[in-house]
Amino acid sequence: MAFETVENWALHAFADGELEGEERSAMERLLVENDEARKALVAINYQKSELRRAFGGVVDEAVPLSLIATAQGRGGRGFLPYAAMAASVVLVVMGAAGGWYSAQHSESVQTAELAHRALVAHEVYSVDVRHPVEVAAAEQDHLQAWLSKRVGTAIKIPNLDAEGFSLLGGRLVTAGDNPAGQLMYETADKQRLTIFIASNTENKDSALRLVENGKLITCYWSDKKLAMAVTGDMAKDEMMVLAKNIYEQMDIKS
Amino acid sequence: MATANFRNDLVKELPYLRRFARGLCGDASLADDLVQDCVERALTKSHLYDPARPLRAWLYAVLRNIFVSNWRRNAKFVGAKTVDDLVGFEGSVAPEQDSNFSVAVITEALDTLPTQQREVLVLISLEEMSYKDASEIIGVPIGTIMSRLSRARAHLENILEKRGTTVLRRVK
Repeated sequence: MAFETVENWALHAFADGELEGEERSAMERLLVENDEARKALVAINYQKSELRRAFGGVVDEAVPLSLIATAQGRGGRGFLPYAAMAASVVLVVMGAAGGWYSAQHSESVQTAELAHRALVAHEVYSVDVRHPVEVAAAEQDHLQAWLSKRVGTAIKIPNLDAEGFSLLGGRLVTAGDNPAGQLMYETADKQRLTIFIASNTENKDSALRLVENGKLITCYWSDKKLAMAVTGDMAKDEMMVLAKNIYEQMDIKS
Repeated sequence: MATANFRNDLVKELPYLRRFARGLCGDASLADDLVQDCVERALTKSHLYDPARPLRAWLYAVLRNIFVSNWRRNAKFVGAKTVDDLVGFEGSVAPEQDSNFSVAVITEALDTLPTQQREVLVLISLEEMSYKDASEIIGVPIGTIMSRLSRARAHLENILEKRGTTVLRRVK
């Protein structure tokens, strides 16, 4: 085989792993003898590695939840999450909890959407055994500062050790056009709980609500500058205790 | 109606569809629009998918067809840049380290490729599709894939070489 030009098809085919048997051996022999062919092969491989370096990281990015929702047949563009939620049970928790109940009875679109997003984010990320979080609990201070900065409001990461949930870490997710945070916790028997935190763009407080979706239960509310949703697989009263605890820990006097 | 299995497999392919789309059109938000369209079409056409073939290659064909038809119709997908456009390049990109090119430089260089060459290059160099898969995705013979590929690589090398010297001159 004669080496003629850098456009020699066989060189590209070799670089792309398309040559086998005698064709491959012939190219290997040529590469030993021919400096120009070797240089051309290095250039092809260099360009391939540059392309992968530039775009390869895309596969490790968090996939936008809207794409996942569309693929799962849960709507997509123009999908109204709160319309879908009408089919699930919504319980408004009334005043028994004392000071943490607000007079805002009517369900706002924002908080209902939030619960849906929190649920989707929980389903997507909590099943991930190896990469459940972007920033691990070991870097809790960094995580807290980072999410506060991205969400735009000071966030305090609640400590749920007493309830048996230890912090795994957290990640940046989206709430519509805005950044939001997801914190993930785990029990000793690997039950996972997530807290979804977005900025409260409507700037009004809401009642605490529970929504059930299969085995999962989401408790959500908005308070001051934050809108929050806690999702996990547990009984309602257990969730209520947890949510109240989280609410109190997150209640930054401002 | 797409089955639950098909949907699950589709979700697993999303990261790769996003990378392919990013390579094709460069811009991240256009790329995700393209993936969104692809997912919607894949769900309505799922009955046409032959499970004996790799799902990724089938999805790439769906995405590539949308890209090409939008690209013909819609100016927003046209790379429309020439080598001359690059000369006025502002030095906003940090000096390159270890002679690696920044994502912005590589994206701009890709934008100068004709779409027919770019799609082949992205499928093979970035997505590591076989020549046979690329030929089926694009719908042209393997020989055509190979000639487009070698032209794309020579063109890109040429652009990046010029860009490399430009960057070096600016750094000095």
